[in-house]
Amino acid sequence: MNKILSKQIIATNTKRVEIASEVIARRAKAGQFVMVMPDAKSEKIPLAIVDADSKRGTIILIFEEAGETTKKLGALSIGSEIFSILGPLGMPAQMPTVSVVLCVGYGIYISQMLSMCKAYRKTGCKVVGLIGAKTKNSLILEARMRMACNKLYVVTDDGTYERKGFVSAVLPEIIKKESVNLLCAAAPVSMLEEISKITKERELKTLIQLNPTMVDGIGLCGSCRVKVEGESILACVDGPQFDAHKVDFSELTARAQL
Amino acid sequence: MMPKGAMPTQPSQKRAKNFSEVALGFSKKQAVEEALRCPQPLKPEHSNRCPLGVDVFSFIRFIREGNLSAALEKIKEANPLPGVCGRICSAPCEKDLYENEHWSVAVRGLERYVADNVNQKIKKNSAAAFGENGGSGGRKVAVIGSGPAGLVAAHDLARLGYTVTIFEALHASGGVLRYGIPEFRLPKKVLDNEIMYIQSLGIKIETNVFIGQTITIDELFKSGFAAVYLATGSGVPVPLGIPGENLPGVFSMSEFLMRVNLAQPLKLGKKVAVIGSGGIGVDCARVALRLGCEVVVVFERSEEELTPQEQELKYAKEEGVKFEFFTKPLEILAGEGNRTRGVRCVKVDFADPHSTGEWKLVTVEGSEFVLDADTIVVSSGHKPNTFVSKFTDGLKVIDSGVFEIQENSFATSVPGVFAGGDAAIGAGPLIKAMASAKKAVLEIDQYLKTKKA
Repeated sequence: MNKILSKQIIATNTKRVEIASEVIARRAKAGQFVMVMPDAKSEKIPLAIVDADSKRGTIILIFEEAGETTKKLGALSIGSEIFSILGPLGMPAQMPTVSVVLCVGYGIYISQMLSMCKAYRKTGCKVVGLIGAKTKNSLILEARMRMACNKLYVVTDDGTYERKGFVSAVLPEIIKKESVNLLCAAAPVSMLEEISKITKERELKTLIQLNPTMVDGIGLCGSCRVKVEGESILACVDGPQFDAHKVDFSELTARAQL
Repeated sequence: MMPKGAMPTQPSQKRAKNFSEVALGFSKKQAVEEALRCPQPLKPEHSNRCPLGVDVFSFIRFIREGNLSAALEKIKEANPLPGVCGRICSAPCEKDLYENEHWSVAVRGLERYVADNVNQKIKKNSAAAFGENGGSGGRKVAVIGSGPAGLVAAHDLARLGYTVTIFEALHASGGVLRYGIPEFRLPKKVLDNEIMYIQSLGIKIETNVFIGQTITIDELFKSGFAAVYLATGSGVPVPLGIPGENLPGVFSMSEFLMRVNLAQPLKLGKKVAVIGSGGIGVDCARVALRLGCEVVVVFERSEEELTPQEQELKYAKEEGVKFEFFTKPLEILAGEGNRTRGVRCVKVDFADPHSTGEWKLVTVEGSEFVLDADTIVVSSGHKPNTFVSKFTDGLKVIDSGVFEIQENSFATSVPGVFAGGDAAIGAGPLIKAMASAKKAVLEIDQYLKTKKA
């Protein structure tokens, strides 16, 4: 169980692993995540389920080797087993029926948008993607996003690839040009806040994927609480998708420094 | 009251710096002396004061006679977790042992003495041995949650001849006994041993399975389980409801204890304020102290109403935990970088404001002060964990937060699904949850006997 079947470096310090987990693959839906412990002594961390193949019985995880735990995970070799994976967790993403959805992802967070794009595509709506990265070498999943979306925009902060600019800077133009009815986004909190401001002015419904700290992922620790319209909601059991216009961003920003 | 025998402890100065067990257990001499203080009951109805049905007088008689394995056997007739209960049970039996008599015996300490001093035999093939007396044909029962209620239910079901699988969402079994109780009150080794004993009865424990998400209850039935017992506990923290509770540096007691117990990273400051009541708050305070912090417990009511188990409050004080009684927290204050800098509090006292004879707690005017703290642990209560109902059609939860169960029964709103422990009766003492599991097992057995496969 939990055997690593393949491992690839897909961008600077970023790895993609395919893991055998029949039970999780069978039930995983867009927007859900798993809690992962590389070994018995390591920290338990949440990671989005990037893709799930119920026929092969496998799931895909993508992670940036930023901290001790992701480094441990990245160091596991093909054929070895991950100590603990629990999932799928969280509520599946809402899929409101719309004609055009814009899926925005930045950096490592693009990994949370792929399953979303695929799921929307199945509902029959037009899926427009907008992905961005700091620089060319840190852009991930471009080819897969192209396959999943009807149309894909790509930007880099430094202009080393495709169009130069921040995701939030090109957003108003794309929303207008593509007549977007719904926006889904996964990005760092500060960028989500900017996106939320832009769409609020335009009264465009916006659903965001949040990534607060979690200890257990099953609703016991309360660490992942997010204030939504004055009420604390747990991202692990009621999220991780939230209505951007209802989230208290100042608190989210403060808690993101944990 | 004739005091019961006190257990030797690690010296307070030393133990405040380590996570080893505080109470060291009775020596043989002390145990026998204590057992000798326990005469047999005058009336037969006094012979069973343990909610779980442990025959207290009989096992103590065996200690007196020096037959510890017989004593253990006697305890295990009713309780598969003597090492756990011998340490953290609230021991209602000690109070009620001799009705109307001012006499108390350290039953809990004696139970621990037995559990610690007999090599618990890990039985092989005992599942087969159990199978004979049940006539339940090895039908499969799923137990959800490996905490105290789940373990007791699994044990009793296996004894009746059922094939039991426990599903646990965390990566390790034991539920609250593992993630919630600090090492210095219940060493993980003691818990591991008792779980190993339970597994030796042929009970399977599958970790990393969140029922409802990983596998649904419906799927359990389809894969051949004839009944399901929900023992999901009451580990969901209840917020205090004051401003500032979501600031960085504020932890729920569950997060705090879980991080320490499951060896997860924890960023602590130097000064910790624990807000709240009960044993869990005191546990948190003593953990923080051992991690090198200065600790103050803020409690809105009197010392007498702070209800950790006897000894624990005394131990905490000896170790150096400070207490602010009659102090009500109003707000958690943000300092630099939005991190916690303290708690704004006000003193409260009993008064009879309308001279109606109704004394109640009122705030003392002008008594507001700021308690400096860079880390806050909120221990304002916990509620039943019924998340599985989100993913299970027809599984109802009532307003008080527990699974809806039928009157005088543990049957939920879904046929074949039973609930027990804190998730069905509400957060309460360990021994009550364990006792409820025992009752539910009899009901499950009855249900499965009438509903032949």
